[in-house]
Amino acid sequence: MRITNNMLINNMLSNLSRNLNRVSKYQDQLASGKKISLPSDDPIIASRALKLRTDVAEIKQFKRNVNDASSWMEITETTLKQIGDVMQRVRDLTVDAANGTDTGNDMEKTKVEIEQLKTQMIHLANTTYSGRYIFSGFKTDKALLNENGEFLINVSNDEQIFYEIGIGDDININVTGKDLFYYGNETDITGKKSGIIETFDQLIAALDSGDEKAVGDMLGRIDADIDNILRVRAEVGARMNRLELTANRLEDDNINFTKLMSKNEDVDIAEAIMNLMNEMNVYNASLATGAQVIQPTLVDFLT
Amino acid sequence: MSSSTFFGLDIATRGLYVAQRGLTNVNHNVDNINTPGYSRQVLEQRASRPILVTNGTGMLGTGAEVVGVKRMRDEYLDVKYRSESQYYGEWEVKYTLLEELQAIYNEPSNSGFNTVLNEFYNSLQNLSTDPSSPANRAALKEKAVMLTKYFNSVAEHFEYMQNDINEIVYAKVQEINSLADQIAKLNQQIYNYEVSGNVANDLRDQRGYLVDKLSKIINIDAYEVNYGKLPNGNDDTRFVITISGKAIVDHNNVSHLAAVQRDTKLNEEDIPNLYEVKWADGNRLTIKSGELKGYLDVRDGNDGLNGSNDFRGIPYYMRKMDEFVRTFARTFNEGIVNSDGTKTKGHADGYTLNSKEGDAPSGIRFFTMFDENGKPMSSAVFTAMGGNDPNNLDYDAMYSKITAKNFSISLDIHNDPTNNISISGAPGEVGNIDVLRELIDLRHNPYMFNEGSPEDYVKTIISCMGVDGQLSSYYVKNQTAIINQIENRRESVSGVSVNEEIGNLVRYQHAYKAAAKMIQTYSEILDILVNRLGI
Repeated sequence: MRITNNMLINNMLSNLSRNLNRVSKYQDQLASGKKISLPSDDPIIASRALKLRTDVAEIKQFKRNVNDASSWMEITETTLKQIGDVMQRVRDLTVDAANGTDTGNDMEKTKVEIEQLKTQMIHLANTTYSGRYIFSGFKTDKALLNENGEFLINVSNDEQIFYEIGIGDDININVTGKDLFYYGNETDITGKKSGIIETFDQLIAALDSGDEKAVGDMLGRIDADIDNILRVRAEVGARMNRLELTANRLEDDNINFTKLMSKNEDVDIAEAIMNLMNEMNVYNASLATGAQVIQPTLVDFLT
Repeated sequence: MSSSTFFGLDIATRGLYVAQRGLTNVNHNVDNINTPGYSRQVLEQRASRPILVTNGTGMLGTGAEVVGVKRMRDEYLDVKYRSESQYYGEWEVKYTLLEELQAIYNEPSNSGFNTVLNEFYNSLQNLSTDPSSPANRAALKEKAVMLTKYFNSVAEHFEYMQNDINEIVYAKVQEINSLADQIAKLNQQIYNYEVSGNVANDLRDQRGYLVDKLSKIINIDAYEVNYGKLPNGNDDTRFVITISGKAIVDHNNVSHLAAVQRDTKLNEEDIPNLYEVKWADGNRLTIKSGELKGYLDVRDGNDGLNGSNDFRGIPYYMRKMDEFVRTFARTFNEGIVNSDGTKTKGHADGYTLNSKEGDAPSGIRFFTMFDENGKPMSSAVFTAMGGNDPNNLDYDAMYSKITAKNFSISLDIHNDPTNNISISGAPGEVGNIDVLRELIDLRHNPYMFNEGSPEDYVKTIISCMGVDGQLSSYYVKNQTAIINQIENRRESVSGVSVNEEIGNLVRYQHAYKAAAKMIQTYSEILDILVNRLGI
């Protein structure tokens, strides 16, 4: 086939261009650290990259939710412990007062302390976390009990706050005031007196009367209160365990998905450098040989 | 038998002329090594007509003469080149424009579609952990604004691009007309020159070059038609170029193309007054390939909808964006009907922060659109577009007006996010997030779109674009290889080789020297004859 100089030059240029394209591609990969820069470079990688980024972002958000849930439930647990301690103290005082070793004066002193404990109990019922009342169900802007221990708002047992901690996975983070503080079956408890406060009031009345037997009879009721508190504490404890397990799992998921995401779209630096060097060699070789081939013509040799 | 006195001189002179012609030819070729479209010219010489000698001793040679200058060109390669160059033009344009489209979306990255959607859903989740916090509510509003502004921005970029391509279409039509005019002029010149029996080599090269340029822009058939015989015995051929059957250049007549603005939009998503390419005499034009088709496909292509091109061009992606925002806004505002017939709650079914017991659901639509003045529409005005009966709204009428370009949050949310974000499931309960949870669940609802959940929809669009882009890059590579191969063959046949020409130079130089030497010899002979013989 007849070859002309222009053919040689054209071919050399088009080959150089192809080589330079490859060099440029690896150069881009190395500079950006990613295998692709546009979806058209590899649509499969692009599509998976989108999915995995979403997954990782969701996991990070769930971790944040788990942290928030943890904080709330820790406050709840601490408060429940304090409520339990208060009732335990009440029980101790009641036992002392009921076993007949006290005189009328001591009953008076006990009554004063019981009244203080009642006030503290009401304060505990109205505990807030970051400005929200933790036992008020959905009405987090309103206190649960007034100073007489009557419910200011109607809190039903359905008012459970759920935080999402996984896809299709949520957890109840609060304790409703009705569950903890009320024992009846009414649907609207506004204005009703809290069960625990009722215990206090009855105890105060008994102490007032000075009747040791009446005081002793209160023990049954106090024990029932303590059992209820313990039940609620156990539930909260179980939920907190679940939260911890979820937090661990989310941590593992985070690592796994980030690893997947990186494997999918990040370039192996060592491999990219090697490829780049390779292509540079090829490019240099094609430049050198091309220069050799295109220059000499017959004109150079005719004198 | 004697011959004429100056016969020898005559032969030598002829030799001189032929050699001179040869040198001129070499010069011409060498000068035009880099002229695009040039075909090398080869001198055709033969022995000139010999004289018959009557005594049976044969024929007397009379030297050499130049018969003609042949243009080395393989017409078949030209036809092949033109038939491949149109596809090359088409796919090169599509590849470049698809890269631009992908750059507008900017995926996968930390600032694209996917990220914006993620941030919005994250802000919803943050709100769920502290629903009454003004900071969280403000953050949700800001993320929603980011989401709507992303769509506005993408839509605007698409419109700019469509406009730019439109201008290019107009320019290409002018280019086609100008090339056709030049070719027609050349046709006339070539015809005039060739009537006398010559071959207009360089003019044909010029014409061939122009036709090559034209073939990249639009699909053409170029050929010579035989109209009979000329008085001198040669064929009367006229050069014709047709586009999809109708002639744009017929000898020296030109039918121009025209870019006429459309009265009605081809696609709903188009900008108004796009150019339609027709024949100037009003006939419709079918463009099969070439750069012009590439531009038109990307500008008008809506995947075959409305009789538009079968290509997934800008209107297709605009439509997909519009569908997304409509469905997204509608399901977020109103809720979604599940496969079992129950309807989830939407934002309009929620209660505001300051609601009191006994209040009705807020009826506030979170997402609306910009009104004619570019301000966010309030929820009330938006709902009024669906009729006056709040229990029986025409949702189609309301939401069909939303496009990616005018997508926005409602004025109510814009002015007072703290109160108006309605995520509570019951009035007066600030910690209630029933409605919010249903809104969050929409993220993974696979029935929202045909393609699945919102993120699946995004993935589908990006994949589509990626695959189209990859396909066009393969086609371009293939066509480049084919074109290069044809060019190589053309160059092999028609290209000037410096070595060859230099070889010819030496050859003609020798011939010239020899002829000159012959003249010198004859001159000496004549000198003897004239000056020395006799007195």
